[in-house]
Amino acid sequence: MKKKRMLAVAALSMTAVLMTACSGGSGSSTGGGSGEASTIKLGGLAPLTGNYAEYGKGFQIGWQMAIDEINAAGGVNGHKLEIEVKDTQGDAVVSSNMATNFAEDESVMAILGDFTSGACKANAEIVDRYGIVQLSPTASAPDYANMSKYCFSIMGRQDGEAPYLARYILDKYLGAKKIAVIRVDSDWGLSCYENFLPTAEELGMEVTVEKYASGEKDFSSLITKMRSVNPDVLVVMDQGDSVAAIFNQADAAGWDIQHVALGPGTSEQLIGQLTTPDNLIVTSPFFFDENDETLTKWSSTFQEQSGFAPTIHPACAYDTVYLIKNAIERIGDGEITRDAIQQALDQSENTGITGALNFTEDGDIVRNYMICGVENGKWVVLEGFDYANE
Amino acid sequence: MEKAKDFYEKHKLIVYLILFAVSLVVPFVIEQALILRYICTIMMYATLAGSLNVINGYSGQTCLGQAGFFCIGAYTCAALTKNFGVSFWIVLPLAGILAALVGLLVSLPTLKLSGIYLSIVTLGASEIIRIIAQTWTPVTGGALGIKQIPYPNLFGLELFRPKYYYFIFLIIGVLFLFITSRVLRSRVGRAWMAIREDQVAAKSLGVETSRCKCTNFMYGAFWAGIIGAAYAPFVNYIESSQFTTDTGFNVLAMVVIGGQGTLLGPIIGSAIVTILTETLRFLENWRYVIYAIIIILMMWVRPQGLLGASDSILAGGKIRRKEKEQGGKKA
Repeated sequence: MKKKRMLAVAALSMTAVLMTACSGGSGSSTGGGSGEASTIKLGGLAPLTGNYAEYGKGFQIGWQMAIDEINAAGGVNGHKLEIEVKDTQGDAVVSSNMATNFAEDESVMAILGDFTSGACKANAEIVDRYGIVQLSPTASAPDYANMSKYCFSIMGRQDGEAPYLARYILDKYLGAKKIAVIRVDSDWGLSCYENFLPTAEELGMEVTVEKYASGEKDFSSLITKMRSVNPDVLVVMDQGDSVAAIFNQADAAGWDIQHVALGPGTSEQLIGQLTTPDNLIVTSPFFFDENDETLTKWSSTFQEQSGFAPTIHPACAYDTVYLIKNAIERIGDGEITRDAIQQALDQSENTGITGALNFTEDGDIVRNYMICGVENGKWVVLEGFDYANE
Repeated sequence: MEKAKDFYEKHKLIVYLILFAVSLVVPFVIEQALILRYICTIMMYATLAGSLNVINGYSGQTCLGQAGFFCIGAYTCAALTKNFGVSFWIVLPLAGILAALVGLLVSLPTLKLSGIYLSIVTLGASEIIRIIAQTWTPVTGGALGIKQIPYPNLFGLELFRPKYYYFIFLIIGVLFLFITSRVLRSRVGRAWMAIREDQVAAKSLGVETSRCKCTNFMYGAFWAGIIGAAYAPFVNYIESSQFTTDTGFNVLAMVVIGGQGTLLGPIIGSAIVTILTETLRFLENWRYVIYAIIIILMMWVRPQGLLGASDSILAGGKIRRKEKEQGGKKA
């Protein structure tokens, strides 16, 4: 009897739970009706906590800056924009949960984010099912954007950047022959390495590679192993805290070697974390040129709000909002639907603060790269865009 | 409370019918799929926590490795449905059976262990399973996980919206509650509880403690496997990092908060933890501090959990003694 009663109470409480859950949600219904001015809601996916928190926070601020600017200037076709940012913790599963939440929420017209290629790829199926755009500022795996017509990215792809690293930084700039690669074991890390290796081999380089699981903290055994190979250059393919951790642990082991990183871009935080920042060379498709007035102004506004200097990542995030704005402008008086945004975005041609943004057939863009390094604790351009043509 | 109990005793059938009707209507009344998804998550964790509760709460063994069995179920489903196109409905029991077999393997060397030693073995087993999932690339996709897991298909209807998925978790949850409530009242179930209260006494009364502990582990693992298999298409993407010991402890927290050794406890625990996770998201990592505080408070104020029976060994020596002093009789 007692058990039966328990069973019933169990079922009852399940119902109670349902009710509590119901009252917990607060929906904002703001569908983009045709003609009448309303608020167009966007969903933002960003790793606000975890290993990639610097980039996630950058996304959040970049998006909000663009939205504030657009709304202050009267909105898009009279519509105001708003964004709801959800923390994906740099985790593909949390990200796909959040993506589903946005996709199911009919008031959300498009999704911006996520940061990692892995998360974006995990969400590809979901956004395809629900028919909602996922415009990532930073996903760079070559096999992401072609997963669905709703998937877009503006970072440029690893099949451009990784071969550039091999050909122009390692071969032409450093003249290195023996390369040690330590990479993160993720979709992105794999795609970097797979695009890097053929070019490196073509140039006659001898490559040794080791991978580590995302979230690992102790790299001493990897470093010892790499050191025994006696390479010319140590290349790390990852973003976030691990990049600094690996280089610092190599320094701590007393290993004097040239550091090269693929992935972090010109991250200000990285300089602060490194024990020997001046020893680092990275690829970057973008640089905050002090002589460029628009960029400097943007950069200082960003810094005011965030407390740290921007990399290309928040700049790309900022650009994604303008891409959506331009797409909505292209729709004009037509009804603003998720599909309409997808079509308009697909056809749009834009220039953002990070350069020209014209989508390829897959839904991503092609970028050019330059070589950046650190001098006296500040990022500098070592070789500009022309270096690849010289 | 007493009145409610009386009412329930008198009108059992009506209560069941009302609950049945309510649970059927829920996905059609709640328009926000977002909330339905949370409800799905609550139901999923409720069953997972329930399966752990069968081990921890009813036989008194301390398993910390439920994430491992959950992981086996999820990967079985993902690998079979994605690579071989096996129907979800066939995979579901298969995943449970596979997890149960692994549960047997884990329980064998642990029969002579108890307390902290057993916990450490289960913790280790859970990590081994996760690391296998992370390394066995041809089957599990390695660190990249398995993406685009096919959604369950029911007579041509693809069950990918939470509205439909709700029923999968509901049916599994109800089945779990029903079968478990029966099993617990059977000879086996009573033997589990006897072991929990006093293993030596149970043995002296003819309970085959080793075999009962094995079946207990297998039963718990079986349901964890099933719910894992249902979870994989629900999130559409799985990778090994979802099955870390953190997940195991999270589920354990649900059981502890709700009350070990009760059928209802894990459901309440799951609801509390899931709702807190979602509503406290704005606090970022601080929300974990809040969990920790809740668990510490719980252990302090109500060691048997919110709904735990105060006459069990799980309630801790203090309460037990008090009951005895008062001539506590409930058995």
